[in-house]
Amino acid sequence: MTQATTPPLATRFEDRVLTPILTGTRPSGTRPRWWLYPFTVLIAGAIYGGTMGSWSIASPERLLLIPYAAIKVPMLILITTAICLPGYFVLSTVIGLRSDFRAALGAIAAGQAAVTLALCSLAPVTRFVYFSGVGHAGALVLSAAMFALSTCVGYAVMLRRYRPLLEKSRRHRVMLAAWITMYVFVGIQMGWMLRPFVGTPGMPVAFVRPEPLSNAYVAVAKIIEQSVREIGGRSDAPKSPSTRPYR
Amino acid sequence: MVINWLKQLDELLRGERVRGDLLLQGKIDLRLRVFVPLAIILGCVYGFFMGFYSLLGWRDHALMQLFATTVKLPALFLLTLGVTFPSLYVFNALVGCRMTFQATMRVLVGAIVVNLAIAASLGPILAFFSLSTTSYVFIVLLNVALLSVAGVISLSFLLRALRALARSRAHAEAADEAERAMAQQSNVRQAGSPPPIPGSSMAGSPMAPPIAPSFSRHGGYGEEEDPARGAERMQMALANAAARRAEQAVAKRESVANFILTIWVVIYMLVGTQMGWILRPFIGNPTTEFTWFRPREGSFFTAVWGAIHHFFGM
Repeated sequence: MTQATTPPLATRFEDRVLTPILTGTRPSGTRPRWWLYPFTVLIAGAIYGGTMGSWSIASPERLLLIPYAAIKVPMLILITTAICLPGYFVLSTVIGLRSDFRAALGAIAAGQAAVTLALCSLAPVTRFVYFSGVGHAGALVLSAAMFALSTCVGYAVMLRRYRPLLEKSRRHRVMLAAWITMYVFVGIQMGWMLRPFVGTPGMPVAFVRPEPLSNAYVAVAKIIEQSVREIGGRSDAPKSPSTRPYR
Repeated sequence: MVINWLKQLDELLRGERVRGDLLLQGKIDLRLRVFVPLAIILGCVYGFFMGFYSLLGWRDHALMQLFATTVKLPALFLLTLGVTFPSLYVFNALVGCRMTFQATMRVLVGAIVVNLAIAASLGPILAFFSLSTTSYVFIVLLNVALLSVAGVISLSFLLRALRALARSRAHAEAADEAERAMAQQSNVRQAGSPPPIPGSSMAGSPMAPPIAPSFSRHGGYGEEEDPARGAERMQMALANAAARRAEQAVAKRESVANFILTIWVVIYMLVGTQMGWILRPFIGNPTTEFTWFRPREGSFFTAVWGAIHHFFGM
């Protein structure tokens, strides 16, 4: 008498979660599960966020940075997507790619889930480097490197799903570029608004920085302006975009 | 009703209401009773997001500024429509595309709805930056960028529709000319003289060159040919020549139409941007008091150039 054996949990997790997201294939007879992508972003993003926030847990109040960052990393990805999605939908429709919207959205969602899975897989490395005694600046550089690496993984997964569409029509290339532009443009500001993720030593622990709202691009423009002034030897001119009146 | 309107908007964005085959018949399937209110609603949506910046500091009259922006944004597009509509009608007559007043209006309203639908869909991005940025210059430039993206796409939509309409007219006139030429040929043939080559000064003259060489079914020149086959070959050669001339005429007419319509689109763009300048403030400068309109000075382009200079501290 044969008895039906249930595969181990790890195998089921691999078959039903990791493989569908990373390779785009799913077990035969199963339907695509759209909720899998945001759910993965929520869980995997929270795991990496929590790890990122655990850089320095010297004081009890800094422990709060762990749940804060665990909430903020999935927020960063999901809210940025929600903000960019209406524009992407309408532009896809106008450009004549409405029939492929579902497939394109699937590719984008899989790419985002893959970013968080990659981040999650790098969480032990991040924690190990923190454990080795890296400074605040080092922790920031490490986080940036981990995000950059994971973004490459996510882009590769998204491109693998997007490839049939790109072969179908050149207009998909335009829409992919439009999506990446919108997503990066909004994502940078979202990340800037949701800081701190690591937590600067000496600053009060908070969900978001208790300071007036600012803009990442304006901050970069100010840095460029200051650099240009310093190179040009005109550091005595105290003008800045936010203080000069503009009409 | 809302579902039906959204369905019609969706069909416009998908291009189903301005399909090539419909436009080639000179038809535009847009109901003004639906699309004008849609333009107003979509304009109000983008205007509402645009006005978010004034809420950031909760200054005096912040809500008034929000209301003013929500109202002025659709007004900007509808006033531009009012100013440029007569010229589009005349320009269309110039390119030979004899659209009715209503058809001209439908094309323009369709383009405006496309423009505002794209702008409204980008509204959440604008709202997010408006609520997280204190820099007025940044918001001005962001608005210019978003409206430019929407404007360029809608203008290409408009230009495509107008070109298709102009093409339909050119094809119709070419078909008429070809029909007239054929009728003329058959009349001449009935009279017993050799068929002329339409459009050629040498047609029918004793000096006219042979249209096709005498070529027998055995593949040699100079042999006797069946007169019926010769006449048939002559007919084919004439038909080919007529088709070539018709194609050339259509291509020439289309290129002239494209040139004139491009000029009109540039006029439309300039009027739209200057209308925006006249109706300012839309965003509301935090350093100045609320006002419905500012004094008429300067232009949109000098202001944008100034904002770019200011943003990079030049």
